[in-house]
Amino acid sequence: MRLAVRKLAKAYGFLWAVRDLHIELAAGDLVALLGPNGAGKTTFLKLLAGLIEPTEGTVAFDGTALAASDARRRRQIGLLAPADHLYDNLTVKENLEFFAELYDKKPSGSQLAATLDQVQLAERAGEYTGNLSSGMKCRLSIAKWQLLEPGLLLLDEPYGVLDGNGVDLLEGFLKAHCAKGNLVIMASHHVARVLKLCNRAIILHQGRLSFDEPRQQPWPSFDAAFGEYLPRGDL
Amino acid sequence: MTILRQTYLVLRKDLLLELRRRDSLLTMFFFGTLLLFVFNFSFDLAPDKVAAMAPALLWLAFLFTGTLGLAQLFQAERENHCLDALLLSPLDRGALFLAKTLFNFILMLLVEIVVIPLFWILFNLPSWNLLPQLFLVTLLGTVGFCVLGTILSAVTLRARARELLLPLVLFPLMIPVILATIRCMENVMRTGMIGDALPWLRLLLGFDVIFLTVGVLIFDRVVEA
Repeated sequence: MRLAVRKLAKAYGFLWAVRDLHIELAAGDLVALLGPNGAGKTTFLKLLAGLIEPTEGTVAFDGTALAASDARRRRQIGLLAPADHLYDNLTVKENLEFFAELYDKKPSGSQLAATLDQVQLAERAGEYTGNLSSGMKCRLSIAKWQLLEPGLLLLDEPYGVLDGNGVDLLEGFLKAHCAKGNLVIMASHHVARVLKLCNRAIILHQGRLSFDEPRQQPWPSFDAAFGEYLPRGDL
Repeated sequence: MTILRQTYLVLRKDLLLELRRRDSLLTMFFFGTLLLFVFNFSFDLAPDKVAAMAPALLWLAFLFTGTLGLAQLFQAERENHCLDALLLSPLDRGALFLAKTLFNFILMLLVEIVVIPLFWILFNLPSWNLLPQLFLVTLLGTVGFCVLGTILSAVTLRARARELLLPLVLFPLMIPVILATIRCMENVMRTGMIGDALPWLRLLLGFDVIFLTVGVLIFDRVVEA
């Protein structure tokens, strides 16, 4: 999948949350979305996900600009919210089945079991999701998107609730997802970790794109941008 | 066919959640029954006043009980931002509207199946043979209530004081349904048939069809606003 964002902007009243974003991503890109608090990262992710309408601009998938309300666009996008977007009173397995059916997927029992096994939740398949810890819910979200295979997967601060093993699981899944030609955009403040994983970094500052480059080693331009826009980061 | 399949999926999920939580149904049952007892203590329905008063009292009970159910209609979607998960998916917004309306209708129906006979028993009403016709009129009124209620429940979904706001916007807009249903029921109780109340029945049917269609068409704008 290819993604082209043109002149994307979102205003809340007189305040521009993001403005004039031009970004082109190629198949297989794993992008680190960085920026200080209030830079517009979450707004940008919500715009891509179609959860909010842009004030200006377009988002094109494989060369076709699709409106936020277009079901074809929604079918191609996933948003991994670490401990959200799951029904507490459905079991782990029922949550997966429900969302799979919404996306017109019909996973077999063995496929579901294998997916849950990969995120080490196979033994808790019949348990209510509300009984899981935040980290386990995040694992379930990983299983969900593993099953649904969206062309573009968006992640908003996924590291916060995961233990070391969970982080390995997530990173393994993201690498495998991109290896299939899919796209991943991950917003995170764990800069050192996310930079190791990504092949491209984008920095937003006050709603504008201030840096967008493929990863290099060494990366002096990133260091300079990072120093300017994220002076207290953990790089 | 996709919209019907998606409606079924969401409705099945909602019924399963309600079966497990029993929040809405139990509250509605108890509140409906409680209202009937309050009415029973407050009013003495003389035989000559029955036809005029019974439908109004019954509908008051349904309105208050139904509003409780509407306030809980999107509760599962509010928790864990599940509404965002649904909006993110390819789910047709019309299917979401139909599923929520049907779910609300089923809850109301279950309450009415208990409340209407209980009302007859409490007020010692003789005309049991009229119940099927009265129930039919009540069903049409309930469809109107659920259709409009689901739209407005979604409108007030993100409002801060939604429990207060919902009845404030719902009740005035429900006046045609309430009036038409009460008039139809009144006529049935007086004469044993719809008869003169046919225009009210047509109004009720028209209201149901129009708002059901409008709901399917505009629900994307309502729920994404």
